[in-house]
Formats: sequence, structure tokens, C-alpha cells
Amino acid sequence: MLLADSSNDLNWTVLLPVVAGGLAVWYMLPSTKRRPMVFGALVGLIALAGLAAFLVSGFGDTIPQTVEAGLFFGFSGLAVAFATLMITGRNPARSALSFAIVVLSTCGLFLLLAAPFLMAATIVIYAGAIIVTFLFVIMLSQQEGPSSADLRSREPDLAVVAGFVLLASLLVGLERVYDWRNVDSAIVHAQRVADAESVDRDYLSPLPPMENMGSPIPLTKKAEEFLGEMRTALNRVKVAAPRTAEDRRLTDHRLVQEIENAITGLKISAFKHHDVEAIQTNCETIAKGLTRLRNLRNGSATFEDVVRSEHGEVKPIGNGPKQLPAANVSAIGRTLFSDHLLAIELAGTLLLVATVGAIAISRRERKAS
Amino acid sequence: MISLPHYLTVGAVLFVLGLIGFLTRRNLIVMFLSAELMLQGVALNFVAFSRAHGNLHGQVFALFIIAVAACEAGIALAMFLMLYRKKRSLDISLWQALRDPGLEETRDLVPLPAEPKEEPLPVLSVSGIEPARKERDHA
Repeated sequence: MLLADSSNDLNWTVLLPVVAGGLAVWYMLPSTKRRPMVFGALVGLIALAGLAAFLVSGFGDTIPQTVEAGLFFGFSGLAVAFATLMITGRNPARSALSFAIVVLSTCGLFLLLAAPFLMAATIVIYAGAIIVTFLFVIMLSQQEGPSSADLRSREPDLAVVAGFVLLASLLVGLERVYDWRNVDSAIVHAQRVADAESVDRDYLSPLPPMENMGSPIPLTKKAEEFLGEMRTALNRVKVAAPRTAEDRRLTDHRLVQEIENAITGLKISAFKHHDVEAIQTNCETIAKGLTRLRNLRNGSATFEDVVRSEHGEVKPIGNGPKQLPAANVSAIGRTLFSDHLLAIELAGTLLLVATVGAIAISRRERKAS
Repeated sequence: MISLPHYLTVGAVLFVLGLIGFLTRRNLIVMFLSAELMLQGVALNFVAFSRAHGNLHGQVFALFIIAVAACEAGIALAMFLMLYRKKRSLDISLWQALRDPGLEETRDLVPLPAEPKEEPLPVLSVSGIEPARKERDHA
């Protein structure tokens, strides 16, 4: 199972931003009670800090103090803060302007993600066209200030609970899928045992006295812990059990099988019979296999050898995963008009139909007299 | 390093905020803006995956999202204008005759609190000599 490890369940890094954010949004939503805004702003700041802490520590990689990290945190903080202001504002015109700031911050994130064309298109279409049209409609329709509908909200308790429970499950899911810390520590542990000159006494079962030679020998506590750690890491990196006999020959399942055999070998004989050479070979197998599987899973595998997968043999394609270059505007045009030609024609047709539809809907009916 | 899950987290937060806004607010325009906010979160996910996989298909998807959002905005604003002409308000609960059968009508039972009285602006009393007016000012 992919999510078999229990080391990172619902913890404070997830709970703090979710609970504080839920409280802040619930408090700031329009209601018939007049609430002072100071409390909402304070809890909202706590939630933002919690979100930043989750981003810094949740996925196990260290955040370097670079310009990219600063820009990422600045843009995402702006986007989240102004999104909150947008959904809680009493004045629709202010909501529209907050949405403009959210769109601009998202465009900054697009630029960090090497999407310059998308950034320009979003600024022109969203911040330029759509929001200005919204402002026109607001000015046409609401000339007498905030209406009673803007000062009330519908089922705020249930909506906030539903939304933030969804957010908590998304965050826990992301943390479980992208956090490789326990696999990494297992690899380091196995490698340490494999490289050591002699095996620590704590791992080796004490030899039984002469008279009951035939009785089963228990594993030591340290050895049990070691094997448990290896099993957890293996459950984390293996995706599914092989279904057919053919599946067993795939690189993936072969690696999993090798690691399982090594763990079983350690458990059944090597730790009990003080076989140092077998312990070191098995630990070496475990460390190598886990490293390879983790790299295949998180996309950093370098495919220097031929891999057998369900779709046939995968040949090596070069060193490491490809990096998307930042100057990719001409490439996006090529992709649009070669791979997605039908889709782009359909999108054009959709725009035409929408234009005709908008004109047809908003036409004033002539009074039949 | 700032990697894929960081952007996915921000996308998830934007999506959830848009969801809450869509469920709670009663102004048609704010509801529509909330739906657009959800689309922004999804577009951010697409672009982040595009970057992580090293190809451009995610960005193409995000472009289609923008195209569909523009169509949606055109149609929705035309409809809002028509709805506004009928009821002279953008309140969504004026249209609750369209709700599912068997659902109760929502009524605003709690009255809104009174607006706080605004302090009247200070008025300076007239002092000094009033300048003489010309005859044609009175005429």
C-alpha cells in the first residue's frame, strides 16, 4: 500500500493552519452580529504562519534561503491572504479588486514555474478583461451601497467545516505522498549496518545454552526494530502487488522481491546465527533496492539501465529528469498547434458560441404592443 | 528546494477558499468570483505538474482553463444583467423558487443590526463681515 506508513498522521503542522484558518474565515464571514475585525486578522496571521511552517517542514526537504524561496513565500502569502479577503468582504467591488491581486500573485507563481506566456495571458485576460467587466456590472447594478445579501452568509458553520476538512485531508495526503524522510533514514540505517566492520552486539540474538539447542531463538529488540523500519520503508516505496505471473518479471516487482527476500533472510537466519557476511550482503541489497525504488517513485531516477515496465522495455533517455527551460513560448505554440490542434479549434468554437450566446441572452425583448 | 508539493499546497488552499466562498456568499458576483478562484487553484496545479514533468501539456491545459473561464464570464455576466433587470437585486436567494423539491425556503429571521450613526461633519459658524453682493447676483 502506498500510504502504509503511520509515522506522519494528522499532526500539528497540518492541524495548526487548518484550525486557525477555519476559525479566521468563519469569524470574518459576513454575519448579522457585528464582529470586530482585529481577532479575525490575528487568527488569520497565525494561520498564515502555520501554513508557512507546513511548507517549510512538511515535505522533508530543506528550503534554501534563495530569491526563489522568498518570491514563492511572498506570492503565495499574498494570494492566500487576498483570497480570504475576497470571500469575506462585504463590498463586491472590493472583492473583485482583491481577486485581481490574487490573480497577479498567481501570475508571479506561474513565472517561478517557467510559464511566462501563461503569466502574460492570465494578466491580460483575467486581471485585464474579466475583472474590469465584473467591476462594470457591479457599478451598473449596485449603486446604493452594500445590500442585505452582502451582509449575511448562508450556512457559514457547515461550509467552513466542510472546506477545511477537505483542506486537512488534502494536506495530509500531500505530506504522505511527498515526504520521503522515513525511507531515507531507513536507507541510511541499512547502509550503516552494511558498511560497518563488525555487526553491533545489540542486533545479534544471544546464543542459547547448550542443553536446549533445538528451541527457537528470539530476535533482539534492536533487530526487531531494524526489520520493522525496513518493512515500513518497503511498504512506502512499493505501489502494488504483482497480479499475474508476467508481472513478477518487471524491474519494479523484481526489486521489491529482492528486498523482501533480504529482510526474510535477516529475520530467519542471519541475525540468529551471527552470520556477519550474510547480514552485510542483505543490508547492502536492501539499501540499494530502496534507493533505486525511491528514485523511481519521486521521478529523479536516471534510467541508466533498461527497465522492464508494463508497457515494455524502457530504454535510457539521458541523464536525469528533463528541466523545463524558462524560455518556452515558441515551444508552447508548437505543442498547441501539433499535439492539441483539435482541442484548440474546439476552444475557438466555444468562444464563438459563448459570444453569440452572451449577445442573445442580454438582448432586450421588444414589447409586443 | 521549492518543489512540486509546495505549489500543490498553495493550489489546494486557493481551491478550498474558493469553495467556501461559493457555498456561503449570496451575491451572484462574489459567488462567480469564488468559482474563478477555484479555477486559479487548479491552473496552479497544472502548471506545477508541467514544470515537474518537464513538458508543456500542463501549461496547455491551463490555457484551456483560461479560455473556458473567459466564455463562462461572458455568459454569466449577461445572465446576471438579465436577472438583475427582473428583480433589481443580485441576491441569489430571490431565485430560490428554482431549488430542489422538498427543500424548505430559507428566510432571513435575524434582523440586520442598525447601521452605526455617522458623526455629522463639523460646520464652521460664519464670522467676519459678509461681503456686499452685486445687484445682478440677486436678479
